[in-house]
Amino acid sequence: MFLGGSRVEAEAIEKELLEDYKFGRQQLIEIWGHASAMAVTKVFPLPSLPRKQPTVLVVCGPDQNGAIGLVCARHLRVFEYEPTIFYPKRSLNSLYRDFTTQCEKMDIPFLSYLPTEVQLINDAYNVVIDAILGADAEPGEVKEPYTSILATLKQIRIPIVSLDVPSGWDVETGNSEGISPDVLVSLAAPKQCATRFLGRHHILAGRFLPYDVQKKFELNLPEYPGTECVVSL
Amino acid sequence: MSGLRALLGLGLLVSSGSRLAAAGGGRCPVQRVSPAGAWGAGRGRSGSAMQNPGRSGVTHLSQEEAQAIDQELFTEYKFSVDQLMELAGLSCATAIAKAYPPSSFTKSPPTVLIVCGPGNNGGDGLVCARHLKMFGYEPSVHYPKRPGKALFEGLTTQCQKMDIPFLSEFPSEAVLIDELYGLVVDAIFGFSFKGAVREPFGSILRTLEQVTVPIASIDIPSGWDVEKGSPDGLQPDMLISLTAPKKAAQHFAGRYHFLGGRFVPMALQQKYSLNLPPYPETDCVLQLP
Repeated sequence: MFLGGSRVEAEAIEKELLEDYKFGRQQLIEIWGHASAMAVTKVFPLPSLPRKQPTVLVVCGPDQNGAIGLVCARHLRVFEYEPTIFYPKRSLNSLYRDFTTQCEKMDIPFLSYLPTEVQLINDAYNVVIDAILGADAEPGEVKEPYTSILATLKQIRIPIVSLDVPSGWDVETGNSEGISPDVLVSLAAPKQCATRFLGRHHILAGRFLPYDVQKKFELNLPEYPGTECVVSL
Repeated sequence: MSGLRALLGLGLLVSSGSRLAAAGGGRCPVQRVSPAGAWGAGRGRSGSAMQNPGRSGVTHLSQEEAQAIDQELFTEYKFSVDQLMELAGLSCATAIAKAYPPSSFTKSPPTVLIVCGPGNNGGDGLVCARHLKMFGYEPSVHYPKRPGKALFEGLTTQCQKMDIPFLSEFPSEAVLIDELYGLVVDAIFGFSFKGAVREPFGSILRTLEQVTVPIASIDIPSGWDVEKGSPDGLQPDMLISLTAPKKAAQHFAGRYHFLGGRFVPMALQQKYSLNLPPYPETDCVLQLP
């Protein structure tokens, strides 16, 4: 079992990647989004989906986690899934705006509201991707519309895949009142709250962390098989 | 009618129809509706008019078409160079890993020389080098002419910080390269290449032509005319065509031709009648016959 990192560590790793290694933020988001999509396909391969159409609902928050969700949705579209995005509060960050355009231009629909009738979601989609809040969010700060969205997601019966941190969870201590995702996709390295994850699949995604960074933060990551960018934990 | 069809296409309605009233009483929840054709067209990739189909029926692009597609990806689709370069470089590394797995090298560790040119092809090479390192190869990079742009400086730093050595000099003789490396990646010139080859790349290419270890070229064998090829030029063992093959690929005589850069939106594929075969599952590369 891997000892996940704290918010401070997650921020420090990202800072090092951006400032020392000179990764670009868009580049990282592309890597994470692509790897997230690969993780989704690993757990829910196309032929395994119960519905006739391979529909996936991707719920995106306003910050980086949401942008990762947008990239994930785009790659799922390339992989012939049928994603639909719910992105109620679009980031003003110009870096993230282009991710939205890319999805729109690939004919990925954007819902203007999320049905509160849970059965509608259960019936329409196979899986929900939770890309609302990431490691940089503080649970006490969850505001509308996300509190209502999370309340809805708590009740759905189809699987939830959370990207990096189950939204609404404290990145270190989790949240016993929060959503219970079926799948957790840890980006680069697991966060501490992953120890509280009780779902079926914990996948590590994003095979790009330089070895020196892994050593410095004592990440103890498993080996990725072959040329895969995801590995089950 | 089209509104109903759009909702069905989105999966927001169950076909039983009883949910229609519950879906907001006629108020369409969708902000932007895709033309039904985008999904209704089905999953097949049948192109309409095929221009210059190659051996496999895939369209081979002219230089102008390749440039137009590139432009459209950036200006219409708002992709950034960073994003596409990352995906392109990953494709190259993945294709190389498929054709030349580390276990196939006679040398241990599996050393690879990546020669990067002054433009985007060189950038693809830098990304490729980084992923090859993650895949267990031992890449070295020669990058004699570096554009002073943040993108390339960033990619260079990423490689250097991962202990990928940058050669200050190109090995003067082909036999040296054969001795030290199990594979060479040619990331010198891409589809924008025109005209004469400037130094130091002229000398580099002349040396590479004498090398006996396999050469994998990114997008276009460097030095080749992008449409006509070059019978006297580099003869790589592998070609990784990015997005779609260019006309020069029709003259490629090596063992492995891969397609990479799995990011071209379907609408763009249809617009240019690319006639790409389907990629297997979630692979980012596809071997062409």
